[in-house]
Amino acid sequence: MNIVVCVKQVPETAEADLKIAAGGKGIVEEGLALQINESDNYALEEALLITEEHDGDITIMTLGHESSEEVLRMSMAKGAGTAVRVADPAFDGGDAIATATALAAALKDVEYDLVLTGCMASDDGATQVGVALAELLDIPHATYVTEVEVGSGEVTVGRELEGGLIEKLTIKLPCVLGIQTGINEPRYASIMGIARASKREIELKSAGDMGLDASSVGAAGSGTVLEELTFPPVGEGADILEGTPSEASGKLADILKEKGFV
Amino acid sequence: MAVSLQEKYELLGCIQCGRCTAGCPVSMRTYLNVRRVVYDGMTGVGPTDAKGRPEAWNCTTCSNCTERCPKGVKPMELIIGLRSAAIEKGRIEPTIRDALESTFKHGNPWGRIRDKRTEWADELSVPVAAEGEAVPFLFYVGCTPAYDPRAQSIAKALVALFAAAGVEYSTLGTDESCCGNEIRRMGEDGLFEMLVEGNRELFGGHEVGTIVTASPHCMNTFKNEYGEPTPDVVHYSQLLASLLEAGKLTFKGKVEKKVTFHDACFLGKHNGIYDEPREVLEQIPGVTFEEMDRSRERALCCEGGGGRMWLEATEERGERLAETRVKDAVELGADYLVTACPFCLMTLEDAVKTSGNEGKIEIIDLAELAAMAL
Repeated sequence: MNIVVCVKQVPETAEADLKIAAGGKGIVEEGLALQINESDNYALEEALLITEEHDGDITIMTLGHESSEEVLRMSMAKGAGTAVRVADPAFDGGDAIATATALAAALKDVEYDLVLTGCMASDDGATQVGVALAELLDIPHATYVTEVEVGSGEVTVGRELEGGLIEKLTIKLPCVLGIQTGINEPRYASIMGIARASKREIELKSAGDMGLDASSVGAAGSGTVLEELTFPPVGEGADILEGTPSEASGKLADILKEKGFV
Repeated sequence: MAVSLQEKYELLGCIQCGRCTAGCPVSMRTYLNVRRVVYDGMTGVGPTDAKGRPEAWNCTTCSNCTERCPKGVKPMELIIGLRSAAIEKGRIEPTIRDALESTFKHGNPWGRIRDKRTEWADELSVPVAAEGEAVPFLFYVGCTPAYDPRAQSIAKALVALFAAAGVEYSTLGTDESCCGNEIRRMGEDGLFEMLVEGNRELFGGHEVGTIVTASPHCMNTFKNEYGEPTPDVVHYSQLLASLLEAGKLTFKGKVEKKVTFHDACFLGKHNGIYDEPREVLEQIPGVTFEEMDRSRERALCCEGGGGRMWLEATEERGERLAETRVKDAVELGADYLVTACPFCLMTLEDAVKTSGNEGKIEIIDLAELAAMAL
């Protein structure tokens, strides 16, 4: 069972005071820590668990700038055998379809039974790359996957639906699965492991290497245009409780009592 | 060939006398049996990593076992080694994983971003060294006093005490990173080395002369594990004691309370600093100081060290040691149980609540108490 895991490096934004960059089409990334996209980390772990049980190799693949090699090295430290960075200035500014086009081209030379992606990237939240990739590769897919059971020439997966329902599907291999967070518990990559992985080769693939016309990828190949990024308007009705933790929790307890919740 | 545990930790010196286990505070509360761990390592049987021996995660690295061993064996280091082996395999508890990943990404184990490291000082006037500026006297705040809402008051109290005593100091602002003391004890050797290298470079770039730390954990690793040349490192209790002795710090206020003192393992057992905090306590006007039975070298660990701030015991068979400690202090009739370590402060304060002693006793840091008397 050979598996390709497609991952993305994203800025960690949970606690950061985000600023919109000049031009209004992105955020200021300076000072933000970069990391593997959360659901991609679960996709990688799922690949590791599957290959531990069913043998096979893992290829870790990303489309991104040089900084994203950190994510590839971390993945190699955990057990991915091969790393590929789809790297070309021509890929900049691509939407989900343009990104999937580049990844699909990179997959042409790779033997795989299964392609795993995260179900959603935390930066743009598009949730489309995996689906588009399956369409371009002309293979089946499933999204929001919370269970994977490998059979003979097929996988049976559980998909998370609205209202807490799980849809069970049996899909022929090869296929693309968009993995949901919580499906497993991702392992840790030690710093010594990452240091050892940094000595290993990362294969670079440019648009030209893959026979892609620059006009079919990146901003030029995108069907969508990001016009402007804005903060949501500040609404009303939220009370921010000030004070020390014990003062704030005291105020919260009073409110809960007053409203009859406790 | 990989070096065996027996060779690496020189376990053949062990005579199985059992002094390690008899002195292990955690053995009262979990199934960690240090003597057994050493025996298995010595004979080459049993699990060689903490994944197969989860009770190794219960150790608080208080160092009692190592201090008590008559043959110079270091069981604590063996336990850290078992953790390292589990870390190399990547199979560790998610809370430990998250603390390590946060330290790698943000320079602190609390999952907080670097930009917020100085938030505790927002309303205060705390000097921050400019890039390359010499810092003869560095106040190294540490991750917990910088980020934890409860422990931030230690940093704030120290700043007030420094001002009162006319101490000229500087901080490193958001450039400050984790010291690595807990990281080493969680077993992440590579990350520890990375932090040491980064911090040594940072201190060197500022020509740091003396470091005063808010936490005994930071002091311990700077002093004992950073290698040469190292700046002079003191815990704040040592600084306050010397400022009092020199007459630079004087208390004008009064704190009419009966207090007792909890020796933090990394201040006491690891570094032999027992007298200075007591000297400070005894000079605070109004304070009546009384020792608990288990004090100084015999002090009971609070279970906050060795990475345990990020991990509950894997199994429990007795009350939390911090609860036992709080009960001891309540029995003594103390108004305040004083400590000089942010981890002890937090674990003991939780234990006041979980042992039903709220309203009977307060946990307070020595710096907070001293600042009350300014």
